[in-house]
Amino acid sequence: MRADKISVVSPVGVEAVQRAGSARRLGDFHGKTIGEIWNGVFKGDVTFPIIRKLLTERYPGLKVIPYTEFPHAQGSDQPAQQRARAQRAAALAKEKGCDAIISGNGA
Amino acid sequence: MVVTSTGFSELARFTGKAGGVENLRIAEYPGPLGIHDPDTIAGNVAQTLVQQIVDGLTRVESRPGEAGEADAAGAREPVFTGTYDEIARFFQLQEWSDGLPFVPPTIERIGQVLRYTDRPADEEIAVLPSANRRATPWSIAANAVMAGCLPVHLPLLIAAVEALGDERCSLNNIGSSSGIFPYVLVNGPIIKQLGIACGPQAISRGPNPAIGRAIGLIVRNVAGFRPGASYMGTFGYPLAFALGENEDESPWAPFHVDQGFERGSSTVTMGVTNNWGSAPAPYDTPDLPGAQVALELLCREMTRKTRLFNFPGRGPNAEHVMLTLLLSPPVAKSLAAAGYSKADVKRHIHENARMPLRDFEWVVKYTMIMRTSLRELVQAGILPGEFLGKPDDLVRILSSPDILHVVVCGDPHRNRVMVLEGGHTRPTTKPIRLPADWKALSKEAAG
Repeated sequence: MRADKISVVSPVGVEAVQRAGSARRLGDFHGKTIGEIWNGVFKGDVTFPIIRKLLTERYPGLKVIPYTEFPHAQGSDQPAQQRARAQRAAALAKEKGCDAIISGNGA
Repeated sequence: MVVTSTGFSELARFTGKAGGVENLRIAEYPGPLGIHDPDTIAGNVAQTLVQQIVDGLTRVESRPGEAGEADAAGAREPVFTGTYDEIARFFQLQEWSDGLPFVPPTIERIGQVLRYTDRPADEEIAVLPSANRRATPWSIAANAVMAGCLPVHLPLLIAAVEALGDERCSLNNIGSSSGIFPYVLVNGPIIKQLGIACGPQAISRGPNPAIGRAIGLIVRNVAGFRPGASYMGTFGYPLAFALGENEDESPWAPFHVDQGFERGSSTVTMGVTNNWGSAPAPYDTPDLPGAQVALELLCREMTRKTRLFNFPGRGPNAEHVMLTLLLSPPVAKSLAAAGYSKADVKRHIHENARMPLRDFEWVVKYTMIMRTSLRELVQAGILPGEFLGKPDDLVRILSSPDILHVVVCGDPHRNRVMVLEGGHTRPTTKPIRLPADWKALSKEAAG
């Protein structure tokens, strides 16, 4: 290959996303409510009950609303439906008084 | 708070960032959850996962942004100066190249490419998921240069990026560990104008490999699908490929006409596939005519397509699948001679691609990520009643003829078929907009 120097540009596209801040942390779990959101795959039905049991044993003042009280079917892979589902889940979490959400399982 | 498993936390961070959340809180389950037994899962959740969840919900953490990102003003400025070897190493470190030698994207070369479009260099062609970055003629040209494309290929690549950015294409979902990668289908007069290969060894000849590679680089650098971070194919990916439809040798209207375009218009279609697979050959025999063998062969091929076990196209939140049937011209002609239109072929396969219910259920139960039984799916109206039949009943495995797409291409002297199987997306077709002085430019390009 030639040894003379050349200048190149980045092939990476320009970011188009406006940054949003993260939600405030809970500080502690006393008197708090956490919801579980599951998309129906990757054994969330196995892990969420264990997580729920361990958290509520460790923090007696904590309330965990199981994934069964939220929509938990698989899919969709269509962006508009994905957005609509996320908005529905967020609205439902608010309605149920959730301070935080645990979502998963991802793999 | 998001729960992931090992290897997927980077993807979760990346997805959060692409959605505007810089510091997504993540708890990582150690290892492949899917194959762990219940005791192992319980132990891993108790020993490592729960404390991460507690920390994530109660403590503040921050992570720096991704290095190497350019803002709108800096995108056209040089980012590195060096010898070819130094540039190659730099690009490899940034993960901007696919590991093969590439043409350095200099301002001069990009300028030559941009002559082949009337659109401003910084016009937003699309915002591509998953990174949600803006694709512009400039960024498309930079990747085209790297791939070894000629300037004359730019209008086709711009149309391809428009297709990738269309929500119907649903590019956001191709990071799947099943390993989905894009392909380019070209139709119309542009095939001959650019010398796109559509006959023997189509994906390997003419400008096709460079065009396919450019799309692969755009998916990496603009859409942001980086192997191991957000592009999670378990065994990796072959290079993206391109092919033209062999319209002259087809007995049917070409693919883009099926999509509602005029036959004389030039289009590019973006599809995806998990495979570039076997190409079985149907034969005419004394007891079964060639057309019938071709149909039976295609039906048999369907039973090996594992995406069909995800119930694509079924139910209110149906996932997509796209099965692209590549038929060599002799196979297409034998079907047409037997009286089959393309729609007839699709209908036949939908009705006759069947397998014993017990086999279907085994695959769903033991090899799929769903946690729902067939009975529950039938009760929910997602699967038809035939999926509650007896174990030996032959059930139809395609939800609809519409998930099949037929393309006539390849060697006009061979009787072979191939079924490309891709998921989560629909083939998306866009017209190719040529610059006003296309005639002069393409003449110049032809030398």
